[in-house]
Amino acid sequence: MTDHEVKQERQSPVWRRRLIWSLGLGLAILVAWLMWIDYQVRRDFAALQWALPARIYARPAELYTGAPLNAAVVNDYLQQLGYRQVDAVAGSGEFRLQGGQLQVQTRGFQFWDGTEPSVFATIEFGDDQIASVSADAIAGNGDVTTRSLPLVRLEPVEITQINPATGEDRLPVSLDQVPEALINAIIAVEDQRFYQHWGVDPKGILRAFWVNLRRGEVVQGGSTLTQQLVKNLYLTQDRTLRRKVEEAFMALALELHFSKDEILAAYLNEVFLGQDGSRAIHGFTLAAQYYFSRPLTELSLAELALLAGLPRGASFYNPRRNPERALNRRNTVLRNMAAQGYISEAEYDSASSAQLSTSLRPARRNRAYPAFMDLVRADLARDYDADALRSEGLRIFTTLDLRVQQTMDTALEPAVAAVEMVADDGTPLQAAMVISDSNTGEIRALAGSRRPGAVGFNRALNAVRPIGSLIKPAIYLAALESGDDTLATVLSDRPVELVTEDGQRWSPGNFDDQTAGDVYFHDALARSLNLATVDLGTRIGIDTVINMLDDLGHSRPVPEYLSVLLGAVDMAPLEVARFYQTLASSGFYSPLRSVEAVTTGEGERLQRYGFETKQVADPASVFLLEQALQDVFVRGTARSAAETLADNLPLAGKTGTTNDYRDSWFAGYGDDLTGVVWLGYDDNRNTGLTGATGALRVWAAVMQQLAIQPRQTRAPDAIVWEEVPIRASLSPTTEDCQATRLLPFREGQLPAAVTECLQNGTLLDRVIDRFRSLSP
Amino acid sequence: MMLRILMPVLLSLLSACASYIPVNESPAPVERSEPARPGTPVLVGPPRPESVPEQSPVPASRQSVPATASSTLLASVDAAMAAGDFERAAAVSERALRISPRDAVIWYRLANIRYQQQRYADARGLARRALSYAAGDATLQQQVNDLLARLDNQ
Repeated sequence: MTDHEVKQERQSPVWRRRLIWSLGLGLAILVAWLMWIDYQVRRDFAALQWALPARIYARPAELYTGAPLNAAVVNDYLQQLGYRQVDAVAGSGEFRLQGGQLQVQTRGFQFWDGTEPSVFATIEFGDDQIASVSADAIAGNGDVTTRSLPLVRLEPVEITQINPATGEDRLPVSLDQVPEALINAIIAVEDQRFYQHWGVDPKGILRAFWVNLRRGEVVQGGSTLTQQLVKNLYLTQDRTLRRKVEEAFMALALELHFSKDEILAAYLNEVFLGQDGSRAIHGFTLAAQYYFSRPLTELSLAELALLAGLPRGASFYNPRRNPERALNRRNTVLRNMAAQGYISEAEYDSASSAQLSTSLRPARRNRAYPAFMDLVRADLARDYDADALRSEGLRIFTTLDLRVQQTMDTALEPAVAAVEMVADDGTPLQAAMVISDSNTGEIRALAGSRRPGAVGFNRALNAVRPIGSLIKPAIYLAALESGDDTLATVLSDRPVELVTEDGQRWSPGNFDDQTAGDVYFHDALARSLNLATVDLGTRIGIDTVINMLDDLGHSRPVPEYLSVLLGAVDMAPLEVARFYQTLASSGFYSPLRSVEAVTTGEGERLQRYGFETKQVADPASVFLLEQALQDVFVRGTARSAAETLADNLPLAGKTGTTNDYRDSWFAGYGDDLTGVVWLGYDDNRNTGLTGATGALRVWAAVMQQLAIQPRQTRAPDAIVWEEVPIRASLSPTTEDCQATRLLPFREGQLPAAVTECLQNGTLLDRVIDRFRSLSP
Repeated sequence: MMLRILMPVLLSLLSACASYIPVNESPAPVERSEPARPGTPVLVGPPRPESVPEQSPVPASRQSVPATASSTLLASVDAAMAAGDFERAAAVSERALRISPRDAVIWYRLANIRYQQQRYADARGLARRALSYAAGDATLQQQVNDLLARLDNQ
């Protein structure tokens, strides 16, 4: 053997060994890779948890006899919930409204306080209220019995959502909640052999290839639902062969470990079906809401087929943008269903001739009611971090009243434009408005700008401005609470010179530079007299006034300056709303709330923000105060609005104007609503408006539209009515006592004006007066 | 319009005169069908003729009300209390208050729920609120005052 031969002898096994080694290594790597894929798929799929946005709901509409809702308002609610107007109501989500009668089958909803069942209700409307609510029940023998329904709660309108960082939105459901027709449609068009294959379907690929070749267009896909699911779950731009092979193995692994139903359910919830701005629409339940504004279970065969056609190309077949293509695609789906025996020829004929029934494109929801949403976010931030809101699928139930908010949104801008003195440089007069429930402190509507839906500086929350004469009720209430003052206390409305805290001389004046001399407490407030107010305020003390402000709900420190008496106190419109809310609920402070409850996506209660209320003033004092605040609309600074509000009076309220007409305010309340309007410029310039010529007119325009309910405050037991001379005087003459008016007083606390007249009057007068005071 | 003014008055008349069985010991069913006494004095603002609704007797149909929104909700409150779900009972009471915000009985009911939850500060505020709407109903006033007295001992 030569050296050469020896080398060859030894070379061959080396080469072979190396081959075996590398084959072995390759196999090991392949096995490791497959195991890794297998592990990955098992891990990811078993823990499949989507980041779900928090959904924000408006307050639900309650239908009951006497509810202050007319047919138009209820119709609006139903439209916003995606209910369909039909000739005969046959299923949930349908209604028929004709001649003041509404028939509706509600959908039912899982509320934080229990389940609201789906009911069939007949509602009769009267003048601006519901006259009756009843339900028909059909007995076994066909007899129809009508019974009255005490109360029907519609499901709440979803106003917006807080989206996950991924921008993906979906409403995951279990397989049993998906209509069978949809599953059939998807299987018919995407993966005929879904229940037979193992995740990859070579036959299917060949058949699809053949069908597409024959028809000259792509009508069938070759990849199975399982492969498509994998593609969606591990979304990469990578379309290489290696990636395809990897996906095929992943599909096989998925089928190995999970059932067909699990895979199908994941597919139905995962697949991408549309894009709404920055929000990606995933899954068929959400797609039904997005394209039809209705739940998946209410859709027709044609509508389900349309959705089943979307996975192929959600943008290409978008029914809103490309209706032709969407229609063709839908009919392809239907044809496949018929060919595979899922539907009859008749069903095919009727469904394929149906018109497209997509709803209007919904408003960009992440921009709905931004001013109110600022408040909701701030309120939620106390209990939830931003991540929880973006990913846990929470349901947030707010206090927003869509009727109130939408009416205000429509009325505000034209009302502001009507009072605006257009600035030379075109800078717009700005506005903010807060409307709350007079009884509960729940925020019903909020505007942070004159333009509805404007994003940016939220003046309702953040424009902190002097409140001017809006402060006066706090001063007069403090005086009434002290027990020394009554509505007939005589105040001096005369020029004074005072020395301020820092030694300056201060000579306040009345708004119109007139003085009233001796004036009743009641009239001084109704007419917003500054000098009389300074007289009263200096007597009871600035500290007493500031304590009252605190009690009424003002939370910022207020310096003890004399100028506080004329409203040198800064508040945002929301803070003014809190202050007046306490007056509207007869001296009971309640925190203003924008969120009522938070539940999980399944409706399980997590948090509830209940009513809280704390008595801060005697209801009798607040009742007396309100007499003067009601008179504001009759003889006082708001009488100019009496005509607009003729159907709504009596109401209570107060105007406010600040130095150089920088701010125009009005705050007022009826039985149901409390509202605050602020007008001003962002750069603090002169608006040329008083509270009465500006904010009051805007307030009246909005509140008239809202049909604000008159004040019907019951007098507390401790109130009596007495005659006082019309002319305020510290020592009324007999003549003064001839011309009198009635004012309420706290029992046992009659002012001199009353007692002196009683003493001066004849016996007969006294008898008549006593009789009158007993029987109002 | 007239109806809109009258309804709250009539409703408050009804509730003001209703008797009420306390719930603090055991959740008792609420029976509120006692007819209102016509002519119970109700003061609505100053007695200017234009602002005082006529004192019409309570219409017959109101005297045997079937199930109203409030009575149905109060029955749900009972059910929630029986099931020991106080927070749900509170939620349902609040729902009833949104519909009849000046019904002293419902405010008292909610005060009682908070009392049982040992949320005494909340209970006190709610009881005082109930009292402020209970003018003319001595029985209810007494019941609320009893609750306030119990709260003062906490």
